[in-house]
Amino acid sequence: MAHLEIDGVSLAYPNVRERSTFLALDGIDLGVERGEFVTIVGPSGCGKSSLLMLIAALLHPTGGSVRLNGKPVTAPGPDRALVFQDFALLPWRTVLKNVELGLELRHVPAAERAAIARKYIAMVGLREFERSFPHQLSGGMRQRVGIARALSVGPEVLLMDEPFGALDAQIRQVMAVELLKIWERDRKTIVFITHDIDEAVFLADRVIVMSASPGRIIETIRVELPRPRPLTLRSHPDFVVYRERIWSLLEEQVRSSLHWQAADDTPPLAQVP
Amino acid sequence: MTLSRRLVVGTVSVLAFLVLWQFVGQREIVRSDLISYPTEVFATFVHLTSTGELGSNAAVTLQEFIEGFVPSIVVGVVCGVLLALVRPLRELLDPLLTAIYTAPVIAFIPILVVWFGVGTYSKVVIVFISAIFPIMINTRVGVSEVAEPWLRAVRSFGADQLQIVTKAILPGSMPAIMAGIRLGLGRAIVGLIAGEMYVSIAGIGRMIQTYSSAARSAEIIVLVVVIAVFGYVCVALLRSAENRMGTWRSDLE
Repeated sequence: MAHLEIDGVSLAYPNVRERSTFLALDGIDLGVERGEFVTIVGPSGCGKSSLLMLIAALLHPTGGSVRLNGKPVTAPGPDRALVFQDFALLPWRTVLKNVELGLELRHVPAAERAAIARKYIAMVGLREFERSFPHQLSGGMRQRVGIARALSVGPEVLLMDEPFGALDAQIRQVMAVELLKIWERDRKTIVFITHDIDEAVFLADRVIVMSASPGRIIETIRVELPRPRPLTLRSHPDFVVYRERIWSLLEEQVRSSLHWQAADDTPPLAQVP
Repeated sequence: MTLSRRLVVGTVSVLAFLVLWQFVGQREIVRSDLISYPTEVFATFVHLTSTGELGSNAAVTLQEFIEGFVPSIVVGVVCGVLLALVRPLRELLDPLLTAIYTAPVIAFIPILVVWFGVGTYSKVVIVFISAIFPIMINTRVGVSEVAEPWLRAVRSFGADQLQIVTKAILPGSMPAIMAGIRLGLGRAIVGLIAGEMYVSIAGIGRMIQTYSSAARSAEIIVLVVVIAVFGYVCVALLRSAENRMGTWRSDLE
């Protein structure tokens, strides 16, 4: 039994105006092993973020089920934690208080949660910034806070929704290396959404390639590159082969989604947060 | 400009004004029974204080203010949050609230006196009504503008409905709520003094009314200064409360 099982999951949004439904995800089957690093790539609007929200149980599937350790997930829980593209930090809280958030919501005593938060703040290299506010930090630092906040609740599964998407190219490569270092310490199960093919290959044990709307899994690619992975891996011949293969799969999907958008002027329904 | 420089410039300008006023008033360049002058105003202040007249009346006004303003903050914030979160309530009450908010509270004073009497009770109600609308409406706007990522963050960690309000919605709308309280404070003081001047048994407004009919400028000036200082102290207290709560500023986002 896989650690995280996604079994025939579909997600449909009602379209009130046209009295029809919009199918965002169609029959997703995916098993993620304990300690596995899975990345999901797909054209924009393919429902990959929605899939992550279904695993977090911030959205509920209209068909199929999501199970963790064999038990269906029905509500957000301490076994899963999210990291968001827009960081979603609370601007009135210091770094320390932001990282404490998840623990505070679960009524962990103040002294204990501060100690736990400090541990993860140190892990992401922000020890000197625990009293700073988010607006005083760079984008990369803010996302480190987001990662520390997610780790602090001790989740079994880390769900990352294009976490480096708002960062510039150099910073995101450095962040990817740092994320791998953190992951290699305790090997949490990670599901990582991205639209950056290089990033997907660089991080993953397995890359899941999704189709344009409605989102389906069209290919699963096991990445057999050695770990630990240095930044220079990106120019390795094998890396290039993976990249080309995924790009050729995606190219078709991106084209069809462009075509689809041209045929019907209304864009796909806005992605639900 | 540095803080100390600002302090120096500010002090110099106030002193210059006082010296000029003293000169113009004392030398009767303008009739001193109309504009008085600083030393006379100060002597009047000392006199009013020593007889206990100022203290006892100020105590009445202060009590009316507190009894009206504190409940207006509590009720205003709670109602503002409910209005923002409960759509049918908002649709039902919006036209009525906007109408009452835009009407000058002073116009309600006579009917409030009919309902609640000439004593302190009508003034407490005036303060409450003056302050509650800006607080409620600012809270409502602040809550409806709470950013989606904050809600998403607390929900993702399994927050219940109450925690969503206390950990994301209230702190997220705190800048707007504080702005509403400051606005309400100003309106409450205006309403309170106007109410006391209209009809009352005691209070600063009552004193102003009395000394006005006797054309006693120095006393009136003392009272106006007392009100101004009270307003200033309230604003300073609010600001320090805001800093202690670690209220963030939305313009930093």
